[in-house]
Amino acid sequence: MAQTLEVDVAVIGAGPAGMAAAARAKEAGASRVLLIERQEQLGGLLHQCIHNGFGLFYFGEDLTGPEYAHRFAERVMDLGVEVMLETMVTRLSPEREITAVSKEGVFRIRAKSVVLAMGCRERTRDQVQIPGSRPAGIFTAGTAQRMVNVEGLLPGRRIVILGSGDVGMIMARRLLLEGAEVLAVVEILPYVGGLIRNEVQCLHDFQVPLFLEHTVTKVHGERRVEAVTIARVDRSTREPLPGTERTIECDTLLLSVGLIPENELSRMAGVLLDPLTGGAVVDESRQSSVPGIFAGGNVLHVHDLVDNVSSEAEIAGEGAARFAQGIEEGGEGIAIRPGEGIRYVVPQRIRGRQPVTLYLRVKDMAEGVRVRVGDIWERKFRVVKPSEMLKVELSTDELSRIEGRELLVELER
Amino acid sequence: MAWLETEVLIVGGGVLGTAVARELSRYRVDVALVEKEVDFGWGSTKANMCIVCQGADALEFRPEYRRSRLVWDSVPLMEPLCRELDVPFRRIGELTLIRNSEEMAKYQKLKGRAEKVGFDRLRFIGRDELFEMEPHLNRNVVGALYNPDIAVVDPVRLAIALAENARENGVKTFLETEVEGITSKGEEFEVQTTQGLVKSRFIVNAAGLQVDRVARFLGADDFVLYPVKGYIGVLDKNVGELVRHEIHMRPEAPGQMNILCPSVYGNPFFGIVMCLARKGDNSITRRMMDIALVNLRKILPEVSEREVIHSFAGFMMFRNWELGWHECVVQPSRKVPRFINVCIGYPGVSAAPATAKEVVRLLEQEGLKLEENPHFNPSRKAPPVFSELPESEQEELIRKEPRYGHVICRCETVTEAEVIEAIRRGATTLDGVKFRTRAGMGRCQGGYCTPRVVKILARELGISEKEVTKKGKGSPVLLYRSKELLSGADT
Repeated sequence: MAQTLEVDVAVIGAGPAGMAAAARAKEAGASRVLLIERQEQLGGLLHQCIHNGFGLFYFGEDLTGPEYAHRFAERVMDLGVEVMLETMVTRLSPEREITAVSKEGVFRIRAKSVVLAMGCRERTRDQVQIPGSRPAGIFTAGTAQRMVNVEGLLPGRRIVILGSGDVGMIMARRLLLEGAEVLAVVEILPYVGGLIRNEVQCLHDFQVPLFLEHTVTKVHGERRVEAVTIARVDRSTREPLPGTERTIECDTLLLSVGLIPENELSRMAGVLLDPLTGGAVVDESRQSSVPGIFAGGNVLHVHDLVDNVSSEAEIAGEGAARFAQGIEEGGEGIAIRPGEGIRYVVPQRIRGRQPVTLYLRVKDMAEGVRVRVGDIWERKFRVVKPSEMLKVELSTDELSRIEGRELLVELER
Repeated sequence: MAWLETEVLIVGGGVLGTAVARELSRYRVDVALVEKEVDFGWGSTKANMCIVCQGADALEFRPEYRRSRLVWDSVPLMEPLCRELDVPFRRIGELTLIRNSEEMAKYQKLKGRAEKVGFDRLRFIGRDELFEMEPHLNRNVVGALYNPDIAVVDPVRLAIALAENARENGVKTFLETEVEGITSKGEEFEVQTTQGLVKSRFIVNAAGLQVDRVARFLGADDFVLYPVKGYIGVLDKNVGELVRHEIHMRPEAPGQMNILCPSVYGNPFFGIVMCLARKGDNSITRRMMDIALVNLRKILPEVSEREVIHSFAGFMMFRNWELGWHECVVQPSRKVPRFINVCIGYPGVSAAPATAKEVVRLLEQEGLKLEENPHFNPSRKAPPVFSELPESEQEELIRKEPRYGHVICRCETVTEAEVIEAIRRGATTLDGVKFRTRAGMGRCQGGYCTPRVVKILARELGISEKEVTKKGKGSPVLLYRSKELLSGADT
């Protein structure tokens, strides 16, 4: 028989989101908080992010990934959060019953509330349709990052990177510092996909050749990558333009072409997902469509900064603690919807009148625009980019001015 | 000095070669099998849709063709074989969508032909019944031809199981052993391999894509084969929840098939877009990808390209480059005695059980003495698949070997102990582990498990992580250690 545990709040995943959610749940009065992590230690992907730039907002300090993880891990342990390491959650039911597996056996965990904090995974080769052969030497940037920074192994010495997400740009610099050559960073859009600071510090400062409005059209090599062909793309259709191909000899292709919230367990539990974010549809306490199941961090929507992951997950942790103590927000509330120019908004629903922060992303880069939230809030932005999340803080006063059941968030040029 | 002497040498460790090996192990015969790749089933066996055809339900079925007969004769053999060898086999049924009266007429003819040879399982169903069975299909159809018998298998695991069972019954198998030349010396063949000289009285040439090359060493290539490349895509399990049957639609252009087929594991396959190609060129083109997706949406309109988690090209050998029908090669060479060529083309997996029996009959006809092996053990046990076990058995496994509780592949829930067991049974590469355990076959395509599997492979094989390959020689996964490019001669 599986061993059974009863807890107030169970948090699945101990990356930056899970650690913050668990800590805040405990601080908000939940008595038994259990943090479940599949790896050997707390921190998730932060351990392979050995570069700095973490914690500028949350701690007001410039930390590396492992340092940032360490701060939260200490807080979690000091607060008396229970931790299960090397434990994989294999099932989650709508009644908040978790099945988990570890070297100790199979566990059944009954939780009054659950926080989903599984993070995200990387988009793979076939999701961006790269033609050619299938040799060794093709990695997602995050997998390569783990190889280099945790395992001490280099994928190769002549590197081409497709996509200019943050992990890809950081790996360009990391591999250069390891003595490899980064021959090209190839981006299909007319601008870089990740943060400006990474574009400057990882690409420009190291004179990495950046090919905007280009893509990889063929992988060469049967057993190991021997070369890739890249081509310019049409600005509107993003299809490769014949005659613009060039072939670059290389031994490695890294992919940094987007992240996908990892919601397999959420789906199992019947949590309603938002096709725009790939994560759960939540209210302002980050409660999903299934009562008592909350979500925070990259499992909900892919964030730009880890600091934002932590802050958002704390909201989910607090909500989960309140739910476990029998405090429930009622009512349908107001639906928040993305309008013109907006890719998504989180949360998708507001039930109460407490101050709320909306996280949103725009569809395209634009200059001199206004962001409007119904008739209650608006602000001018000099420049907006899809890679950088916008935060809209709504006060109790502003929320009380909402009329109707729906609030549209729009971009005005 | 011969490295190996044997009565029968089988060249090729695909599903046909291993099936012949296993069939021969029922008799007291010295049998050896050589395979050039690092594992069994890595040629055409691994690159197809895993469908077990029922012979008479195919448009190209003609009872007078040997190929049709071998598929037909294999139908009653496949399920018991999979049961004996503990290989996944799932009967899912097939729905051939019908869009107009012209298609209806074709399928009526097919049904009549099938009934003439005694296959009476085909049945026409109307829209209501069809959409009750498969609610997500394109509405632009008038009905379907239903074949409840179509099944799917895991052909690579079948080849591995056949090889393991053959070995258990006395067959010697050699991986990474490529044939480089064959000469005929009186009553014996001398086969030059990358491991050394093999002397053998009989040769079964089941070299798949290389079948003509191997035959040519002796001038035994009394046939012409055309290598046809086919593109197949793999979809996320989420799409697998939308369809339960194999769905077939008549292709609109030559060189295409339009099939959506759930696998035994839940990830559906779709395709096939075909073209003549140079052997060994497994590359896929954007055009193939686009055509396959367009065709797929004719079956299942709501699929997004984001649901495609993997794609690959497989090769089939055709006797004639004319789709629809073709004959196979299962015959003794007309020029060289005691030399049997075996090549089905497609569907090789479906035809394997009867083909193996046919090859044994041909060997006997060529003079091989067959005496029953009284110790033949037909059954083989597959290693445990943790994720498929009931919880009590999972607990039991973990108690005996705690590494069954260490999940290293998040998408397919593969445990460390399963990887170790796969290595113990012969996996030596990343792809070897992948095909044997499914670690790396899920939606993240090895993003999570690759570093972990590399580590386990290095540890269990006693090699450095740099020596771990994706698919054997020339395919190292990682080229350097950290700091290696900064030191010594490189700076």
